[in-house]
Amino acid sequence: MSQHQRGATETQQELSLLSVRDLTVEFETDRGPLRAVDGVDFDVERGETVCLVGESGSGKTVTAETITKLIRMPPGRIVRGVAELDGRDLLSLSERDLRAIRGDRIAHVFQDPQHALNHCYTVGWQIREAIQVHEDVSDAAARERALTLLNQVGIPDATTRYDDYPHEFSGGMKQRIVVAMALAATPDLLIADEPTTALDVTIQAQLLDLLESIQTEYDMAILLITHDLGVVAELADRVVVLYAGKVMERGSVYEVFDTPAHPYTQVLFDCLPGRGRPLRSIGGTLPDLHDPPPGCRFASRCEYARKECHTGDQPPLYDVADAQTASCVYYGPGGDPDALRNGQSEGDPDG
Amino acid sequence: MRWYVARRLLWAVVATFVILSITWALLYVTEQQALTSIQFQAAVSGGDAEAARAAYEQQRGLDRPLWRQYADYMTNMATFNWGYSTSRGQPVTAAIADALPYTMMYSVPWTILTVAFGLSIGLYSATHQYSRFDYAATFLAFFGYAIPNFWFGIVLLVLFGVHLDLVPIVFDPDAPVFSLANARQLVLPVFVLTTGSIASLTRYTRAEALEYVEATFTKTAKAKGVSERRILLLHVLRPAAVPLSTILVADLLGLFIASSYLVEVVFGIPGLGQLSFKAIQNQDTPLVLATTLVGVFIAVVGNLLQDIAYTVLDPRIDYGDR
Ligand code: SF4
Repeated sequence: MSQHQRGATETQQELSLLSVRDLTVEFETDRGPLRAVDGVDFDVERGETVCLVGESGSGKTVTAETITKLIRMPPGRIVRGVAELDGRDLLSLSERDLRAIRGDRIAHVFQDPQHALNHCYTVGWQIREAIQVHEDVSDAAARERALTLLNQVGIPDATTRYDDYPHEFSGGMKQRIVVAMALAATPDLLIADEPTTALDVTIQAQLLDLLESIQTEYDMAILLITHDLGVVAELADRVVVLYAGKVMERGSVYEVFDTPAHPYTQVLFDCLPGRGRPLRSIGGTLPDLHDPPPGCRFASRCEYARKECHTGDQPPLYDVADAQTASCVYYGPGGDPDALRNGQSEGDPDG
Repeated sequence: MRWYVARRLLWAVVATFVILSITWALLYVTEQQALTSIQFQAAVSGGDAEAARAAYEQQRGLDRPLWRQYADYMTNMATFNWGYSTSRGQPVTAAIADALPYTMMYSVPWTILTVAFGLSIGLYSATHQYSRFDYAATFLAFFGYAIPNFWFGIVLLVLFGVHLDLVPIVFDPDAPVFSLANARQLVLPVFVLTTGSIASLTRYTRAEALEYVEATFTKTAKAKGVSERRILLLHVLRPAAVPLSTILVADLLGLFIASSYLVEVVFGIPGLGQLSFKAIQNQDTPLVLATTLVGVFIAVVGNLLQDIAYTVLDPRIDYGDR
């Protein structure tokens, strides 16, 4: 099946499953418009895992929730950009057409399992709803499917627990139920926004294993939003690093981990934490997104910043390696990338 | 859950019992005071204080042992033998039965209108937050909230009754319940009452619904592909119904206990509020007592309904019997 699909994609000239281009989103606030996401580009191919990495406030959640227009509009507003699923732009679809995509082809898992389920309905009811929204099946048939899904995500005694309410489950179990719900219509893309952050460490590991196993089983792409580099190392095929609403670096997980190119990525990886540990905090604060300063977004915190970093636009994503790009003047014409690499090795006793 | 409801019911009975006992004690103290003053007056006018006391005690049944007085009182209460209203010349229960339909005539439409408008305006405001409609609804709600019912009623009565002559000024209790004449004379009182309650229910609904409009589970539902209308009804209104139902019951209690006085007095509706008002004016103790107790019972039953509504609507409530 997956062989066949891969063949089919090749004939479509390698059309990406999801292709986000120049995505720009603003939020109306008391202090005027806040540009949360500013010209973000990235692709997700069939069956692969792409990680959106960044601190809170980097725009990763907004990016993910704009793809199927889950953000509240207003105050949110899509300024420009496209998000194409198999070449069809989702952002210009009617609400009705978009509804047919949501849950059916693109499913979501959110950060907070405690509140992701409606406390007024049984978990069975909620999974059944996810099935029946997209498919006209009887309650009995939907129940059968829901039970299969619950078994698959590892809920013990699914048959008896089907009629239990969310508050009767632990946080980890709730997140498994949310995952089961997301799988209801066998989506092509699962967008998981910090799915393990709210859980304790052992449960996190189990849930990541679950995501990995269902990904192979359903041949499903995952767009994973995280600030946990351990999670990235474990699951990602490719990484997109966001900072203050802009893409700083893109590349395969090997490239980004072995040779982080962008100064921001380097700081992040400087002291690579183990799984479950948050990003190292770095000095300074995010620039004001109501009125970002000119030049590179990272300039105020960058130890390599030069004069041209404070003028003009964010540097374009220059090629660094085969499939690795970085938005930094050091990789542009006349730049000297080695200056950055040397800077990094200085702190390495073995270097 | 059955056990929980049973416990709540039992509690309501106990509460009623306690309230009745306190009323009895208060009445007893009042009688003792009356007795003292009778003795005093008899002595002053040169009569036999002791004989006056005995006569009064016998007339009032105060010569019986205390526990008998208490038991008889409770039995009378339980059997709706609530005494005789001197000012109206009829049994207290009959007076209440006469007044109740008039109170119902405006409180039933009031309830229906409040629920219908309060919920829908509040929900629409919540889903269209900061839209023009929302601002207008917010403004009107504060207006309706701030304006005193009693004053508003008089103003409307003067305007529509006296100047424009659109509605009768004097309430006609003999108008058939379902007649145009009755509807016309009820329009203003219902309007006056609903402005305040729709305003408050709108605000509460908006606040509660907003909490769930922004909840993660609403986003989950949207991400599943559920339609806006279904989200609104099943994922927003359903959880919001829990707190809203209790607010509604509280509003209804407020109507019976406070608003009914003002509105019935202003518009001359011979309902429970006016009955109680006149009873106080005429110092008709059994009637005052009875109308007050009706209010108290409504409060007790209302509280019971609130609790039961909570348990039925919110599955997270632990009934303590699983
Ligand atoms: S462009 Fe300048 S400021 Fe931005 S990361 Fe590169 S060196 Fe630092």
